[in-house]
Amino acid sequence: MDLPAALQRLANYRLRNSRASRDIFESGVLVLRKNALSKLGDDRTFAHTLARRNVHRVSIGWVFLEQLALASIDIGRLEVAETCYGELTTKFPGSPRVECLKGILIEVKGTDEDALAFYEKLLAADESNGAAWKRKISVLRRTGKVDQAVEELSVFLDTFYTDVEGWLELADIYASCHQYTSSLQSLSQALLLAPQNPFYVLQAAETAYTAGDVPLAIKLFLVVVDMTDGDDDVLVKDSIPSGITVRAWNGVQTCAQRLQKEPKLSLSSASNTSSPQKLSVLEQLAKDMLRKARS
Amino acid sequence: MAASSPVPSFYLDPQIRDWVLFPITLVMILVGILRHYVVLLLQSPPKRLPRAAIREQRALVQSNVLRATASNSPIPFFFYKSISQNLSKAFADGTYLKDGPSKGDAPAAPPNPLTDPAAMDGMMAGMKTQMVMMVPQMVIMGWINFFFEGFVLIKLPFPLTLGFKSMLQRGVQTPDMDVRWVSSLSWYFLNFFGLNGLYRIILGGENAADAAQNMMASPFASAGAPQAGAPQDFGKLFKAERDNLEFAEGLHKWIGEDVEDRILRKYGRAAS
Repeated sequence: MDLPAALQRLANYRLRNSRASRDIFESGVLVLRKNALSKLGDDRTFAHTLARRNVHRVSIGWVFLEQLALASIDIGRLEVAETCYGELTTKFPGSPRVECLKGILIEVKGTDEDALAFYEKLLAADESNGAAWKRKISVLRRTGKVDQAVEELSVFLDTFYTDVEGWLELADIYASCHQYTSSLQSLSQALLLAPQNPFYVLQAAETAYTAGDVPLAIKLFLVVVDMTDGDDDVLVKDSIPSGITVRAWNGVQTCAQRLQKEPKLSLSSASNTSSPQKLSVLEQLAKDMLRKARS
Repeated sequence: MAASSPVPSFYLDPQIRDWVLFPITLVMILVGILRHYVVLLLQSPPKRLPRAAIREQRALVQSNVLRATASNSPIPFFFYKSISQNLSKAFADGTYLKDGPSKGDAPAAPPNPLTDPAAMDGMMAGMKTQMVMMVPQMVIMGWINFFFEGFVLIKLPFPLTLGFKSMLQRGVQTPDMDVRWVSSLSWYFLNFFGLNGLYRIILGGENAADAAQNMMASPFASAGAPQAGAPQDFGKLFKAERDNLEFAEGLHKWIGEDVEDRILRKYGRAAS
């Protein structure tokens, strides 16, 4: 793989926030090596490849170092991560973002208590450091102090309301403790913040089903179908469902079956959702679509 | 002198081009670039707000998000209502206020921006940038006025109507001269307002070199705008937001309300 291709891949991963650590690491090390070589020789070409319109020339290099550090921590190549952290901290001493990287390194190498103490220190210096706060919550959850984690996360979300990731995490924590109603409430906040994401709706639908609110679940599954089955309403009839849509059709089928078998379920909706009328038609449609998807 | 005369009425000394026109342009570009870097130097790092202050500032975002999606809401009315009512109650009780809910019934006087050191800092930063904008422009203008007053620098290659006379021939009081001739002071103003595009190419999108924009913004203008660190009476804002929330609640419509009909119609099963 040559340098521009590697840089392109890395930029793509950054943009999509994907966790392809092995690949990032391999491309990253290549870039790092080429960069080290080009520093000796011709520095221009590297800077030129990095240069993008409206982006500061240097900054991409630093973001790349952060990306590489995280990826190499993920696959256990700590010495590379240390190198990246060293370079970043000499450039930006005391930056909260870089300090967070150090916290992650401590989490890997030291004990959880060390990491917690480190994050506490960061938060004491600047109590509005959202990144360190989130790391602290994740450490709390991982070490089994779920109650503390939920408490901290609630305060965090009350301060930084727009953090979708935080709401999803809270929903996940609640779901892991079988608190599906609370989980659904957190998910509804995530839905408000990112109404365009069908995966959150699907998660909400499945949580609602687990919580026993089947009428709400079938509606949400139908919303997912509506969101994901393609843009052209005319062609949609003959299309073959794929991916998330299949899962949503599965949900529709299951919900419709259950609602027909146990009609009193439709009366016991916790959210006062009325169940759809044409359940048998919906079930038949879901069956047909699933058959199409499987054939 | 007729504007359409085929013979130019007078010739410009090429020395004017080399020693006046180019230097003025060059000096203005260089000063702009210099100013960009001086402003970068002057910028103090953003102040760190305590948690309570951030919470207070961002509380309105919650209700904004909620209201923005109300008429096509991704969540059913049950959840919408609980969130909306909770917010409304919190706003009424002043839960989100930085200093906690107000105790007495006497409304606190809005803080004076001139005594609050935090607000003063922000204002000083604004003034400093302002000074960096103003001083070089005044110096350049003085320089042009002193050395090149009444100079005619270039002739525009296209004809213009008389209305442009005051714009292009400032500092030269000649009623008969063709509008196409541009005086030194006017050339300065043209550069002053027109160099932004060039700066954007040289320095990138968000540069501090363009004087014209900053000249128009007074350092005190930001006092009225939110998010500028200016003191605001959040108590009042929250009270006003409660009405909006109530109004939006009436507009609420869940996208899942009739989704089954939509789906059945889409898949051609509506009739059966």
